[in-house]
Amino acid sequence: MHELLLFASVPAHQHHELLQQLAGLTAMQPRHRLERRLIFKAYRKPGLMNTRVGASQDLQGLELQRLNKMLNGGMFYTQVVGPVAETDFGAKPSSSGDAHVSISGLEDQSSPPYSYEDQPWKLEFRDIPEAGTRSAVTARLMASATLPKGDITSPMNAWGYSFITEYVVEGDVFVLNDIVIFLHRVLLYPTGAQESHGPRRQLPAYRELSPLERTGSYVLQAAITVQDGGNQEMMRTASQHLFGLREQLKSAVRLEQADRLSLDTRAK
Amino acid sequence: MSDSFSLPLRPLTEKRDHPDTLPIEIAQINARWGSFRDINEETLRAKIEEEKNRDSWSDEDETDKPAEDVDTTEQREQLYKRRAEILQFAMQAHMEALFALDFVSLLLSKHTPRQAETSMSSFLKQVAPLGSLNAEIVNPPPKSDAAVQDVKTVSRGWRVQNFNAAANKLLNSATRLEGEVASETKYWDEVLSVKEKGWKVCRLPRERQALGVQYGFLEATPIFRDRGLAALRRGENGSLRLDKGLAPQKTRTVRVRVKHRGQLTGCSKLPESPPDTVSVERTILQARDTVYEEELFHELMREARIMGSQGVTTRQNLVRLPISQEQEILLDLVDADAPADDAETESTEHDVLADGLSHSIRILLAYAHRQNLRRRTQPPPALSNKRRHTPEYQLLRPVMAYLQHSAHVRWLESFLKDIYGVLRAAGLQCEFQAAPFSSVSLPRMHPAVPKVEALVQQFLMPFESTFSGNLVTPQSSFRVKIRTNPVTPPFGSLYDISVDLPHHAHVQPPSRVGLQSDAAAALTHVFKLDIVSAIAAHGSKSAPEGTKKEGETGLTWEAAYPHHGELLALSATGRSKKLKVTLSRDELTAETYSMRGIDGHGQAAGTKPPSHSQTWKSEQTDSQPSLMDFVAEVSREQS
Repeated sequence: MHELLLFASVPAHQHHELLQQLAGLTAMQPRHRLERRLIFKAYRKPGLMNTRVGASQDLQGLELQRLNKMLNGGMFYTQVVGPVAETDFGAKPSSSGDAHVSISGLEDQSSPPYSYEDQPWKLEFRDIPEAGTRSAVTARLMASATLPKGDITSPMNAWGYSFITEYVVEGDVFVLNDIVIFLHRVLLYPTGAQESHGPRRQLPAYRELSPLERTGSYVLQAAITVQDGGNQEMMRTASQHLFGLREQLKSAVRLEQADRLSLDTRAK
Repeated sequence: MSDSFSLPLRPLTEKRDHPDTLPIEIAQINARWGSFRDINEETLRAKIEEEKNRDSWSDEDETDKPAEDVDTTEQREQLYKRRAEILQFAMQAHMEALFALDFVSLLLSKHTPRQAETSMSSFLKQVAPLGSLNAEIVNPPPKSDAAVQDVKTVSRGWRVQNFNAAANKLLNSATRLEGEVASETKYWDEVLSVKEKGWKVCRLPRERQALGVQYGFLEATPIFRDRGLAALRRGENGSLRLDKGLAPQKTRTVRVRVKHRGQLTGCSKLPESPPDTVSVERTILQARDTVYEEELFHELMREARIMGSQGVTTRQNLVRLPISQEQEILLDLVDADAPADDAETESTEHDVLADGLSHSIRILLAYAHRQNLRRRTQPPPALSNKRRHTPEYQLLRPVMAYLQHSAHVRWLESFLKDIYGVLRAAGLQCEFQAAPFSSVSLPRMHPAVPKVEALVQQFLMPFESTFSGNLVTPQSSFRVKIRTNPVTPPFGSLYDISVDLPHHAHVQPPSRVGLQSDAAAALTHVFKLDIVSAIAAHGSKSAPEGTKKEGETGLTWEAAYPHHGELLALSATGRSKKLKVTLSRDELTAETYSMRGIDGHGQAAGTKPPSHSQTWKSEQTDSQPSLMDFVAEVSREQS
C-alpha cells in the first residue's frame, strides 16, 4: 500500500478555530485519538548473515536469494502504535495494594485501571518518501499489521527489533471521503527518574506530558492510502483529491509536501 | 412620498416683489395685438373660433394623415427618402464637425504645432501653413443694462428648472430606496426567522451571491443530499420565496396499502394538506418531507429489485410485497394532495397495519442514515479500482420478515390451540406456552450504541419465537422454534421442532421444516404417537386394578404400530382387538376392530366396520366419555 500525504503546521492559537472549520468541512464531529507510539529499530542478529559462501552463490535458490535480500536489505525504524484513553493516564495499576486504592479512590473511582497486559498494538511500517516525484505530495510505501496484546517487546525482539523510545500522540481525526485528516501533536513523557529500557507499564498523569513543540502547535496531516502504488491513475486521483483539499483549506492553512529526509525511517 | 420628504431640495421660488405694472402690460398688449382701438366683437369671435379649431399639432397631422393611406411601395419610397435625408444630415454634421476640428487645429498649431498637426486634415495642411492663424482676446463691447438683465433672468430660469429636475430625481430615488429598504428588511427578517428556527442558512455553492437554506439530509444518497439545498429568493415585495430550481413543487409521499384477498383493506394516512397560509417555514418543511419521501421510495425500489427471489415485484411507481397467501402490501409514491380514491378501498380494517408499516419504513430509513454517518466517519479503506458498493438499505426486508414471522406464529398458535382443544375434549390434560418474538429483548443493549439505534437494531436481527408444551404422557414434551431471517439467506421462516418422547426416544422430526403443512403433519404425528403410548401406558397401569375390582380380565393394549396409531390387545380367549387412533386438527377418532389371530395387519381393517367408534371435536359441548374411559370400556367388553 502507498500513502500520499500533505502536511501543515498549525499554531496553538489557531487550533480551536481550525477544529471548527474542519468539522464544518467534513460534516462530522472530531474523533479524539490518543496513541502510545513505541519506536523500534531493526538490528541484524548475529549469525544470520553468513549466507554468502563463496562460489556456491550461483547455486542459491530463488527462495534463498529473497531471504538474503530481506535479511541484508535496508534496516528500518518501525512504530508500534497502541490506542489509549485519557483515563488511562495517571491511573493506578491494578496490582497496587487495597489500602492505596481506597485513598486514591476518592479522585477517580469509576475508571478502570490501565492494564498494560490488555493494551492492543499495531505495527506501522513507513518507508522513506519516494524521491524525485514530480507531484507535490509526499508519497511513501506503508504497511500496517495487528500485533498481539500486552507486552510487545519480547515478540519484537524475537523479530529482530529493539526498543528505542516512546511518546504519545494526541489529536483529532476527521474523514473527508477518502482523505483522513489528523490534527495532532506529539507529547513527551516527563523526563523522570527511571529511563526504562522498555515500554512503560504505567502511564503518568496526562497533565505531566509536555508537548514536543514548546509552543504547543499542532501538525495537520492529510493522508490517502492507495491499495496499489503501481497504479499511476489511482495515484494521480489520490493526489488530485489532496490538491482539492489544499484548495479548500487555502484560506486557513497551507498544506504542503514534507521534507523527504525529515521522514527518513532508515536505520543507519 | 416626495411631498412628505422633508429635505429642502427644491429651490425656493421667491415671489416677484413688484408685479408688472399696468403700463408695461398695456405696452405689451399693444405690441402684440395692435391698438385697442381696432378691437371689435367680430374680430374677437373670429380669433376665438380660430383658437378652438386649431391645436398645436394640427399642422403636422394634416401632413401625416394622407401618409397613412399610401400603399407599401410609396411607403418604401418614402422610407428611402427619409433615410437619405437622415444620411444627408449626418454627413453634413460630420462635415461641420471636421471643419470645426480643422479650424481649432489650425488655431492651436501656433502654440503646439506637433499635437495640432495630428488632428489636421491633409487638405488643410496643403493649403495653409502651420501657425498661420492666431487668436487674441478682445474686450467685448459693453452690453446694455437691459440685455444683462435678460441674460440674468434667463439663466436664473434655467437654474431653477435644473434644480427642480435634480430635486425630482433625488426625491424619486429616495422613494425607490425607501421601498427597497423596506423590502430588504422584510427579506432579511424572514431569513433571520428561518435561521432562528434552526435551519442552516448558507451561501449557494454555485451562485455565491445568493442565500440558500439546507433542509436535506446529509447522509442521504448524493442525488437526494444535493437536492436538500434551495435558494432563498426575494420576491417582489420582499417576501421570502423558496427556489428549488427544477425540482417539482408538489408534495409527494409514500403510501402504504394492504390488500387482503384481492381487496384493498387498509391505507396509511397521508400527511394533511398544508393550510392556506403558506409560510416559508411551512414550505421548507414540505420540501424536506418531499425529499425524504422520494429518497425513501427510491431506496424501496432499489431494495425491491434485489428481492425478486422472494416474490417482490416492482412497477414504474409501485412495489408489491407478498406476505402470505392472501395478503400483500402495496407501496407507491403519490401526491399528498391527490384526492383519496375511496372507491378502491373496501374497508379500513388494516389501516392500523398500513400506518404501522409506513412509520416503520421511515424509521428504518432514518436508521440507515445513521449507519451511513457511522460508515462515513470511519477511516476509509485504501483507494483502489474497486468501487465501494453502497448496500441496499434494510427497509422492506425487516418489514417483510416481521410480517411473515408473525403470520407463521399466529398460524402455529391457532393450530396448537385447535389440537389442544381436541385433546382437552377427549379428556387429556396437557398445555402449551407460546413465547412470540422471544428473540427481541430490549434490555440487551450495548452501552456504546445510542439507544435509538440499539432499539432499531433489535428488529434487524433474526426473529425467533418459541412454543413449548407438554404432551399427554408425563415427561414428554415438545418445543417449536420459528426463525425468520430478514437479511442473510436462507430467507423465509423455518420451523425447528424438537420433541422429547420417553417411549420413542429415537423419534425426532426433521429439524428444519419450511412449509406450514409439513410442520402441521410432523406435530400431529408426534401427538398421535404420544396418545398411543399414553393408551398403552394407561392400559398396563389400570389392568391390575380392574381385575381386583370386577374380577374381569381387562385387555392390555400394546402399541403395535404406533406410527399408524394402531394398538393391539390380545385376550386370554385368543380373540384380539385392534384400536386405531387418528388425529387431525379438527378431531380425534378412536376405533376398535375385533380380529382373529395375533397380527392385526393380516386382515384389512377397512373392509370390516369398526365395532366401536368415538370421535372428539374441540367445539362439541355435550359431555362424552373421555378417551381413557372409552379405552377402558372397550377393554372390559372384551371379556
